[in-house]
Amino acid sequence: MTVTTIFFQQILNGVIQGCIYALIALGLSLVFGILEIANFAHGEFYMIGAFMALFSITFLGVPFFIAMIIAMIGMAFVATVIERVVFRPIVGKPLINSMLLSFGLSTALANLALYFFKADPRKITSGLASYRFSFLGLYITGERIAILVLSVFLVLLLAWFIQYTRTGKAMRAVAQDRTAAQLAGINIRRIYSVTFAISGALAAAAGTMVGAMFFVNPEMGFTVVLKSFVIVTLGGFGKIKGVIFAAILIGLVESLGGGFISYAYKDAYPFLLLILLFILKPEGLAGGK
Amino acid sequence: MTVKRKPYILLCIIAVLAALLGIPRLFSMDYYLHIFVMSEIYAVLALSLSLLVGFTGQVSMGHAAFYGMGAYASAILSLRLGLSFWVTFWMAGLLVGTVAYLIGRLVLRLRGHVLAITTAFFCVLVTVVMNNWIPVTNGPMGITGVPSPSPFSLFGVHAVIETRAQYYYLGLLFVACVVYFLWRIESSRIGDAMIAVRENEELAKSIGIDTMKSKVLAFTISGALAGLAGAFYAHYIHFISPVTFTINESINILVMVIFGGMSTLFGPILGAVCLTILPEFLRMAGELRLVIYGIALIVFIIWMPMGIWGTIQRILLPKGPEKTQG
Repeated sequence: MTVTTIFFQQILNGVIQGCIYALIALGLSLVFGILEIANFAHGEFYMIGAFMALFSITFLGVPFFIAMIIAMIGMAFVATVIERVVFRPIVGKPLINSMLLSFGLSTALANLALYFFKADPRKITSGLASYRFSFLGLYITGERIAILVLSVFLVLLLAWFIQYTRTGKAMRAVAQDRTAAQLAGINIRRIYSVTFAISGALAAAAGTMVGAMFFVNPEMGFTVVLKSFVIVTLGGFGKIKGVIFAAILIGLVESLGGGFISYAYKDAYPFLLLILLFILKPEGLAGGK
Repeated sequence: MTVKRKPYILLCIIAVLAALLGIPRLFSMDYYLHIFVMSEIYAVLALSLSLLVGFTGQVSMGHAAFYGMGAYASAILSLRLGLSFWVTFWMAGLLVGTVAYLIGRLVLRLRGHVLAITTAFFCVLVTVVMNNWIPVTNGPMGITGVPSPSPFSLFGVHAVIETRAQYYYLGLLFVACVVYFLWRIESSRIGDAMIAVRENEELAKSIGIDTMKSKVLAFTISGALAGLAGAFYAHYIHFISPVTFTINESINILVMVIFGGMSTLFGPILGAVCLTILPEFLRMAGELRLVIYGIALIVFIIWMPMGIWGTIQRILLPKGPEKTQG
């Protein structure tokens, strides 16, 4: 393969990775915008979602898409319960409380998964990996095409939901001004539950996709949650378009940096990028909240 | 501090000092002494972080990065240049203080969540460098054979630091110096400016406080002290590797600060000691240890957001001293 082919192959991989990051980061950003909670346990939602899909395929024998839907519904339910039991008592408390609380949750969930599922990496079989397409010397598997299409579809669905449905409008109102929204008769507890359900479902979808492309293991959540925070910080808290753009940017930076500069530092590039941006353009990122 | 000093407080202090000095005689087992020495190191880390988080109100999740840099700086200097611990200890503090100053200038423009998350990124970045800058840090293998402090003579007293009891006394001196240093800062005008920043940054600015300067100063001091603690740790354990200084350690230190109670000098020490000893009991739970730890943390944050010391104060002193309300 020539350098140009490798370059475009890396771009393609970066875009796919970026779409998955967008799904994770959007959920994180929604929770942050609406409940003002930095949820470090979001990576565990993604991990548990991946395990749900994995077990649906191995034990129920359902196809990949159905497994993903089962994981999304299951995780939406679990996230709602978690919001109700763990997060609701501290909504409106100082940020350090919600951070440490979600860290406790993250530690508990990750280690519980480790206890029950053990650390060996497992793979979700989508049955689509064997279809291979080549186009202008670039390779893409059917699985990756499906992932690309699905993640774009989910992101658009979310954007539509928030923009046009009644609940979506209520969510935006709560994000803007909690008290005013309450005065206008919005049931904000329901909005909190819906927000957590959406964020859990999106994380589960992303986990299923990553589990099909790479592996599922109990420790997969933590690096991802930090990267998602990079993305949300770059894109702006609560801004959908900004987050999507930042997610694809981070996917590209990782994939191109890993391919052309040094693979060992692959995980460091997003952080470096962010710190570089702080130096060059401090006012742009600190603006807003 | 505004708490009125009563005669029995002096008595209490003497009793506590006597108990602290007597610990190596009461618990002569190496295992116990090790836990006490680790408590001292964590006490310094928690105290230094509380200057930033409790007093100045800036949440940092990058404390382990400074701790780790201090450990690596001191270990590398003493092994490569053959310098004594008594020199590298201070060099590590100076070096890490400088890095903290530069990072602080950069990140303290940010506030709240964004600041906390950015410092977390910084911590991750430092761990990645420790793992991959193999010619200097020896990568994931870590650095072995970090020497003990060299014997020294001071005012005719000849001392060696080799046994755990000797490290314990050195650590006690270290904690005492840090407490005194922080107490002097916190009861000075600099400390008042820091509290003003915590309470209302805009208001502080409007009455002529250079808030950025206060924040950077708190960040620098807190980083430098963590660097010193790192140097102490490296020469005590004799082995360092990147796994000790991950973001989880940052969070651990932050939890100690919250657990004990922020914005007092006693709270972080209490938190550090409790949270060094408690996990040792949890060893019995085996694989579920971290699950229990996580759940305990959740329960604690929901039920006791002011920390142990804060809660004790609220029960004992119905009105509570002015400065301890966060």
